[in-house]
Amino acid sequence: MKLTVNGKTHEVDVEDDMPLLWVLRDELGITGPKYGCGIAQCGACTVHEDGVAVRSCQLAAGDVVGEITTIEGLGTPNTLHAVQEAWIDLQVAQCGYCQAGQIMQAASFLDLNSEPTDDQIDAAMSGNLCRCGSYPRIREAVKSAATKLRRV
Amino acid sequence: MRGLVLAVLIAGPVTAQDAPTKAQGLAAWDDIYAVTSHPRCTNCHVGAGGIPMWNGLTYGADAVHGMRVQAGENRVGAETMPCRTCHIGVASANAIPHAPPMIDDAWRLPPPELAWLDKSSEDICEQLRDPETNDGFTMDELATHLETSAFVAWGFDPGAGRSVPPIGLDEMVVALNLWAAAGTPCASDP
Repeated sequence: MKLTVNGKTHEVDVEDDMPLLWVLRDELGITGPKYGCGIAQCGACTVHEDGVAVRSCQLAAGDVVGEITTIEGLGTPNTLHAVQEAWIDLQVAQCGYCQAGQIMQAASFLDLNSEPTDDQIDAAMSGNLCRCGSYPRIREAVKSAATKLRRV
Repeated sequence: MRGLVLAVLIAGPVTAQDAPTKAQGLAAWDDIYAVTSHPRCTNCHVGAGGIPMWNGLTYGADAVHGMRVQAGENRVGAETMPCRTCHIGVASANAIPHAPPMIDDAWRLPPPELAWLDKSSEDICEQLRDPETNDGFTMDELATHLETSAFVAWGFDPGAGRSVPPIGLDEMVVALNLWAAAGTPCASDP
């Protein structure tokens, strides 16, 4: 089957029911999305399908209908996405395992809701777990990115 | 009441000549309410707050949906975390405990006027028989909805150890048709 990931089309020979996360990591070597729980309870595997956050452990390869974007395709070192910039500015990451999912969730959220309330930020990010407990910095970074994106 | 429903099933559809009595209609409503008040339905048939529920498995009774989910006024979580982020819109066996259920439709909450959580039998009865408050359904359309909705089908066969309503979908359709044929009586009627 064909999958478009980060603007590049790949031909992959996998079973239809293989989770997209497996395809990305094991078949395409795109290891930004992380495996955490496998049942959409942690958010570490979050990628975008046509810009909307989706848990790639739940989306079967055969059910992908849109273009996939992973953390590797969100920005580049020279042109970071506003959420990535905020992540660096506020030094959000501790161990860093969850941050690809956190950033992808936040980027999609701010694309859908450019003027979020604090409560909406908490609701949007509560499906992404951080075992280091960096939640206060995550919240600040999302707020900072929202402000920056509104100026664009 | 289940005996009555089964008798009607065996006897064939209700006709104009043998319209059920009000008492039979009220008994059919009791079956309908047993379904509409079941957590498999009330978990998503929530009010304007748009916060769905979890129930059973290891969550206990009447737990709020995890992840601080807020479906919002749009009922799909568009302003926070879309339902579809986890509830992928594809048919699934839903065999994995605690994984998000999936159906071949866009996961969403019903309109807030169709709230059933914490509503009395009389409240839901009056709500469901009135197209002004039942999302515009006639009784025939409501029966068709029961028979064709992927959400409804999933509710009666949710998989992965999730609890199911006390009667099956076929019995629910029979009860609805019987209640409709009896003139949609409610216990609150004079």
